[in-house]
Amino acid sequence: MRRVFLTGLLSLGLALPMAGLLHVAPVKAEDAASFYKGKKIKFIVPYKPGGGYDDYARLLAPVMEKYTGADVEILNKGGAGGMTGANEIFRSPGDGLTIGIINGSAMITNELAEIKGAAYKVAEYSYLGRVTADTRVMSTSVASGFNTYDSLKAVKEPFKVGATGLGGSTYVDTVIIGKVFEFNQDVIHGFDRSGPIRKAMKRGDVVGMWGSWGSARKTVKSGDNQIVMQSGKKRHKDMPDTPTIRELVKSLPNADKAMKIVVGWEALSAVGRPIAGPPGIPADRLAFLRDAFAKAVADEEFLGKAKKAKRAVDYASGDEMSELTKEATDLPDDVRKMFISAIRGEL
Amino acid sequence: MGILEGLVSGFAQAISLEVLPFLIVGSVFGMIIGIIPGLSGHFAMAMLIPFLYKMDPAPGIAFLLAAHATVAQGGGLTAILFSTPGTGQNAATLLDGPPMREQGKAGVAVGAAMTSCFLGATFGAVALALLLPVLQQVVLFFGPPEIFVLSFLALTFIAVLGKEDMTRSLIAGLLGLLVSMIGIDNVTNQERFTFGLLELYDGLPLVPVILGLFAVAEMFDLFVKGGSLVDKQHGALSAGQTQKQIFEGIGIAFKKWWLVMRCSAIGTTIGIIPGLGSAPAAFIAYGHAKQTSKSKETFGKGNIEGVIGAEAANDAVEGGALASTVAFGIPGSSSMAILLGGLFILGLETGVDMVTTDVDIVFVMIFTVIFGNFIGTIFGMFLVNPIARATSIRSSIMVPILIAVVVTGAFAAQGSLFDIVVTLIFGVIGYLMKILNYSRAAMLIGYVLGHAVEKNLYLATQLKGTLFFLSPIPLTLCLITLGFIAYNVYGMIKDRERL
Repeated sequence: MRRVFLTGLLSLGLALPMAGLLHVAPVKAEDAASFYKGKKIKFIVPYKPGGGYDDYARLLAPVMEKYTGADVEILNKGGAGGMTGANEIFRSPGDGLTIGIINGSAMITNELAEIKGAAYKVAEYSYLGRVTADTRVMSTSVASGFNTYDSLKAVKEPFKVGATGLGGSTYVDTVIIGKVFEFNQDVIHGFDRSGPIRKAMKRGDVVGMWGSWGSARKTVKSGDNQIVMQSGKKRHKDMPDTPTIRELVKSLPNADKAMKIVVGWEALSAVGRPIAGPPGIPADRLAFLRDAFAKAVADEEFLGKAKKAKRAVDYASGDEMSELTKEATDLPDDVRKMFISAIRGEL
Repeated sequence: MGILEGLVSGFAQAISLEVLPFLIVGSVFGMIIGIIPGLSGHFAMAMLIPFLYKMDPAPGIAFLLAAHATVAQGGGLTAILFSTPGTGQNAATLLDGPPMREQGKAGVAVGAAMTSCFLGATFGAVALALLLPVLQQVVLFFGPPEIFVLSFLALTFIAVLGKEDMTRSLIAGLLGLLVSMIGIDNVTNQERFTFGLLELYDGLPLVPVILGLFAVAEMFDLFVKGGSLVDKQHGALSAGQTQKQIFEGIGIAFKKWWLVMRCSAIGTTIGIIPGLGSAPAAFIAYGHAKQTSKSKETFGKGNIEGVIGAEAANDAVEGGALASTVAFGIPGSSSMAILLGGLFILGLETGVDMVTTDVDIVFVMIFTVIFGNFIGTIFGMFLVNPIARATSIRSSIMVPILIAVVVTGAFAAQGSLFDIVVTLIFGVIGYLMKILNYSRAAMLIGYVLGHAVEKNLYLATQLKGTLFFLSPIPLTLCLITLGFIAYNVYGMIKDRERL
């Protein structure tokens, strides 16, 4: 009996280092597809279950499994407005087995403002691609009577705009665009999420708010709110009658300077919600993952489910993402300074 | 669709063969999640979401909501039997549940808790149904000024919870308020008491704090005392005794119907207000039960009214929480946010559509909450016997097992090692508070409501100026608060004279 035990112990002692040796065997010896076969990919969601980022992750997981041959395991790592998860992705080993979805524009604003917890560099992630980008819109309640840009410009008394805490995207949008158009506005900030702001609009506490078209759409459809302006180079296909900010800026006296700010601001939202891995993923694996992601977001099953869950898909490739993030982090100096003071609540 | 028509159609759908099996499976699943400490309703729902894509609306809703509805029941069961609240909202049950178990009345406590859960859930669901025609106005009623004054009123319950020692309760409550300040201030974006730790940016996580303060602290206490979870004199109950006790508990819950109603009303109201959550609901109901009881002094020593009040309120919350989700698509909690996502997947729109054309779906929800809790109650009663056996295991074996379960639960909720550290630290704090006789409930209320009070005060002053509380509704609520405090102070002075 003792001999059996000792033999077992000995073989274990021999097997472990050998397994270790196998583990560090050079990667290029095998191709990426066979590497992923049967492996487990950690997919980090930087927020708690429920909500947009989690939804996209859960929609993507089965199709990513289909095209990589690996098991995709979703891990919710909420905290610090998405920074905890973004840091974790950035710090994880670059073996191509950890990826995640990040809140691109918020991570960039945090990085620009040099928020202490931002231990990542947005431009250095390995991007698989982008699953969606929000069109940012300013919505106002129909009951408030502010139904156009002109009516907002014409006020004598300041109008109230609801926002989340300092640094949140609803807040940053409100102050930056407010500054561009020199709106006579009172920013009521400190709401937890966009839901309570919408309720405050309904109660008449505030007249409007900034947010994504995806979440504003419902209140427009119900007839409660209307959209007065939208981001983007062209008008969104669902909002053909709403002017873009670029159109409105043209009529301003200092149009050139204003346009420079708007371009920088839109570069932030173009980053959208990318799927990213840490820096340093071997080129063949990254190419394989990018290819799998491209197939996944074009998959009929995925698109059908996304449509059902009312989640818009706006794909951009991994290469395009690397470009977009460079543009967004490499802003003209005066624009960057303005954003930083907006994020810090000094504007 | 008219409301009456919706009611009939909703009922018919809920008991149809396409829906009922999902409802049953959902409630049993929720119950099991509830028994595991740390895992709560939103976890149960998030796990079920992937199944919804291929489901029809009614079965999908029943599946999702039934799982959510029974979580608090499972949590109540373990709170009473093992001093380990399965979810945050069961923390208030710990005040009187475990003392009853120690006195050999575990069956009575469980029977009463289960029944109160069912009655509370029914009350909340019926309230939702009755409010349907005016639902939008009711939800809009609560803006920042109103929420501030109401949370403030809720804070004053700290005083009631520990009336026998007001000073200690206030210290504990204020400590809770202080603890709630940890994290990034939502308004100014300043870090407060984070010591540069990224993990503290969002403040202390609720579930680990509750698990530490209550479950781990109880384990420490049990370990130090030795023995087992049941008193030596009484020993473990036999199957027959348990059965008899359960029926006795059910009877008591029905006999105290007026208390159940009042505590359920408290739960439903708090549910309607977004952001307060169900943990304070149960404590406030507990405070109310204690204050209106004829035998206040036995609260905390195994008074069944404490169990009934807490459990009725934490299930009545659901009806209220559903109200703002259904009426506006504004989720009051993370569970409701997941429900909202589920509704989208099933192709349903919340808001005006939901309370007019899809009103039958609202009734499917209402009946799901009622039937789900009923099934949970029945299932729970069968579970009591096998689980109760374990309470006689001696502490040197039981404590390590339960601590392992609790720590796993604390980790599982967010997958964060930091949460385990928080759980253990608050375990020590909770244990010290217990032996030094400071009210942990008061601390928890301060902690949970601190954030709501501060944030809404800031919003209210921004919106309506410094004198925001002088408008009619907040003023009325303020007067009620003052009256309540005055009544308590009066009661205290009278008690003192008597001594």
